[in-house]
Amino acid sequence: MDVFQILLNGIVLGALYACIAIGFSLVWGVLNVINMLHGSFIILGGYLTYFAWHYTGIYPIILLPFVALALFALGYVLQHLFINKVVTAPVLTTLTLTFGLDMILYNLMTVFFTATPRRVTLDLGTLSFGDVYLPIDRLLGMALALVLTALLYLVMRGSRIGRAIVAVRMDRQAAALMGIRVNQVYSITFGIGALMAGAAGAIFAMVFPVTTNLTGVFLGKAFVVCVIGGLGSVPGALVGGLALGLIESVAGYTIGPQNAITVGFLLMLFLLVVRPTGLIGVKGYE
Amino acid sequence: MAKPILEIDGLQAGYGDVQVLWDIGLSVNEGEIACVVGSNGAGKTTLLRTISGLIEPKAGSIVFDGEEIAGARPDEVLTRGIAHVPEGRRLFKGLTVEDNLLLGAYLRRDKSAVRDDMDFVLDLFPILKERRLQDATTMSGGEQQMCAIGRGIMSRPRLLVIDELSLGLAPRLVERLSEALIEINGTGLTILLVEQDVMTAFDVASRAFVIETGRVSMSGETSVLGEDPRVREAYMGI
Ligand SMILES: Nc1ncnc2c1ncn2[C@@H]1O[C@H](COP(=O)(O)OP(=O)(O)OP(=O)(O)O)[C@@H](O)[C@H]1O
Ligand SMILES: [Mg+2]
Repeated sequence: MDVFQILLNGIVLGALYACIAIGFSLVWGVLNVINMLHGSFIILGGYLTYFAWHYTGIYPIILLPFVALALFALGYVLQHLFINKVVTAPVLTTLTLTFGLDMILYNLMTVFFTATPRRVTLDLGTLSFGDVYLPIDRLLGMALALVLTALLYLVMRGSRIGRAIVAVRMDRQAAALMGIRVNQVYSITFGIGALMAGAAGAIFAMVFPVTTNLTGVFLGKAFVVCVIGGLGSVPGALVGGLALGLIESVAGYTIGPQNAITVGFLLMLFLLVVRPTGLIGVKGYE
Repeated sequence: MAKPILEIDGLQAGYGDVQVLWDIGLSVNEGEIACVVGSNGAGKTTLLRTISGLIEPKAGSIVFDGEEIAGARPDEVLTRGIAHVPEGRRLFKGLTVEDNLLLGAYLRRDKSAVRDDMDFVLDLFPILKERRLQDATTMSGGEQQMCAIGRGIMSRPRLLVIDELSLGLAPRLVERLSEALIEINGTGLTILLVEQDVMTAFDVASRAFVIETGRVSMSGETSVLGEDPRVREAYMGI
């Protein structure tokens, strides 16, 4: 296969990985919560998009903002009602809580949607440059993923709520002295994490089939991307996502797709040892 | 007659089962600079934390501008008009000087007035203008203290409480900051200063309260207390 094709596949996959990981990274970095629900949030976003498209025929790109907002609401409510009660507890406590919530959400999804793989088919055709092929739905997915990533970056850097989120992350007592209601910012942050997951799921459903069987896979990817790129920053998630996408693509071609995932995890372990802050070790949420 | 803007009476507070404040009573008059002094662990920081709502008092009252604020949330206290510059500056890492200042104005919606106050702060401490886009926590201690005070002013408070103005700073810088406080006070802002360095505190403040193990042991005009042999011996090393 052409080397450009391998790189292109890696970049497309990497942009999607970045989008998957970014909300997970935000929640982990700001709340110090390892959100076990993240994979299910992604699949829920994918299913909602698929079924809304299937029954109404509305174009999925138009559905995406609504799916994302629905997930924001779900995330906000879960944080507000449950996770805020234990948010200052050690990380194992919140991990257990989100694990329990995830089992509930996962089972509900399996009951309501079944685990049948679903995919929005757009039939947009394929671009070709010589020997290199790029299905247009994938190009679209990559573009959407990058746009969302850029949007989150701008929000974090330039908005009032972005500043408040960073302030809470860095020093919650000092943030309280600024008049910031810390628990409310936690709920909004968790909501944004779910929103990004939902949007990523909507994008995924346009490119690959989604099924509840994938929740663990997505959670694992988010985890690896965070460790590779460095926790708690948009550029970190982007770099980590692209790195993982490229590695899996190259490894998939050279040593076989069944080994590609192992290579990703090996890279994560290697980085944990030599550079625990990730490729982009950051101070603030930038 | 001087009118009190802050009146504290019978205040008790602490951390969990550890009681730190046993019986605090003090008042700050509108327009003055008052100070609270005391040795390490006397409870000065705990007092300020209780005023700004970070700690719930066990008993007693805190009346600000005629309203009871004991037990109110930090954002409610700030809205009423008390800004708290915490011990050790506590600027936000990873954010610029400008962003730190803007966080001081987090609850305000009057954008143009916020701009004016930003200009006021940058004129008061011109070095911050040069450092506007630098990570605030990479500045020197003195510059960080300026930024922390500026951040407090950005909420346009009626009372500014400052914990340990001089902590870890060279005497020349402390003098510079003291002058700035007097200038800020000249705009009509009431200031309550907490200090371990009694000399500095008595230089800028007109009235003082001495705290010992969670109780106010002495209080009065700084000009009088500064001559008191007990104060001179215990806190000024004379
Ligand atoms: N978070 C906390 N939990 C438990 N005890 C605390 C806490 N913070 C302070 N204390 C205790 O409360 C007492 C008063 O502390 P506080 O910080 O109010 O003193 P301070 O007068 O500000 O001292 P310093 O001059 O060193 O700043 C001390 O005995 C301290 O050990
Ligand atoms: Mg103190």
